Amino acid sequence: MIQKILIVDDSPVARKMLKASIPKDKEYEIYEACNGKEGIEKFKEVSPDITFMDLTMPVLDGYKAIPELRKINPHAIVIVCSADVQPKSIAEVFSLGALTVLKKPAKTESVQNVMDQANGKLKNLREQNESKQ
Amino acid sequence: MENLKISENKMNLNNELLSEDQKDILQEIMNIAFGNATADLADVIDIYVELSVPAIELINTGELSGYIDRSLNSYTNAFIISQKFLGDFNGHGLFVFPNGAGHDLVAIIEDTVTKDLNSSPAASLEKEIIMEIGNILIGACVGKISELLNTAVIYSPPKAIIGKSTEFDSFIDSFVPLQTVIAMKTVFKFLQKDINGFIVVLTDQESIKWLKTALDKFMESYQ
Repeated sequence: MIQKILIVDDSPVARKMLKASIPKDKEYEIYEACNGKEGIEKFKEVSPDITFMDLTMPVLDGYKAIPELRKINPHAIVIVCSADVQPKSIAEVFSLGALTVLKKPAKTESVQNVMDQANGKLKNLREQNESKQ
Repeated sequence: MENLKISENKMNLNNELLSEDQKDILQEIMNIAFGNATADLADVIDIYVELSVPAIELINTGELSGYIDRSLNSYTNAFIISQKFLGDFNGHGLFVFPNGAGHDLVAIIEDTVTKDLNSSPAASLEKEIIMEIGNILIGACVGKISELLNTAVIYSPPKAIIGKSTEFDSFIDSFVPLQTVIAMKTVFKFLQKDINGFIVVLTDQESIKWLKTALDKFMESYQ
């Protein structure tokens, strides 16, 4: 189950909006980073269960940060949360390995849905790991 | 020393009009609005727009011409679509595009929308296409800002203005002197043809009081 959440977004307002939309059913450890570069550093430091990633950011954007996260952990669960919902952008982030895309401003219900999806994926990964052992 | 004082005074005035938190909220709202606008455009035309982080500035109307000139710096000539919007949220949307780059846009979209435009002469066709794209982007962008701030606006028809012309000077002169406007600017790039442009939403001073309250209410819903 999800315990640690990393939010990567240059806008403090966007981070606050997303944090407020995370379901209050349990206590999560929430970490924040304000661009892709900081996001990668934070990802290495805390090993989050899921990462919410914006796309348009200074220093290092989401398109460049996602492959880096997946180099560190090929099973990293990345949920793109962006205002850029053009079909080509969505196709691109899926090709980079994002689990899904949330259109800004994200509502609690849609955040809940993607977290359920992420929990399902985490469960599968754990079962696969256990069967290997 | 005198310049430092002027700069400090300007910063204090800007902070009185809009706090740093309110600027951050407006920046994110502009980001969401322009992102939605480009997705709306992609529904109509097979086009991909690379976005940038929006910039929010408070500008005295006397500095408006200089602001647009600075923004136009990379263009020898600019084609501007201006559309006024009215309501609680009141101002102008500007879609600024290099003049002459319209034929590249025609090439991008000729498979999707030019059937009805084939009879138009080339220059007229370029103008019609830029007008239409500007109209879609300004309308979707301002419409989304209004929706997020729980209000509605009405639009006047879009107007085409050539940058650094008498029409442009008249447009600048139409702003009430000695007032402050909020400029929300997003630079974009049509990737297929490497064409850069930008969109600016200018909010009139009379809307700023309403806007401050609307921004605070917007954020209250995320407390």
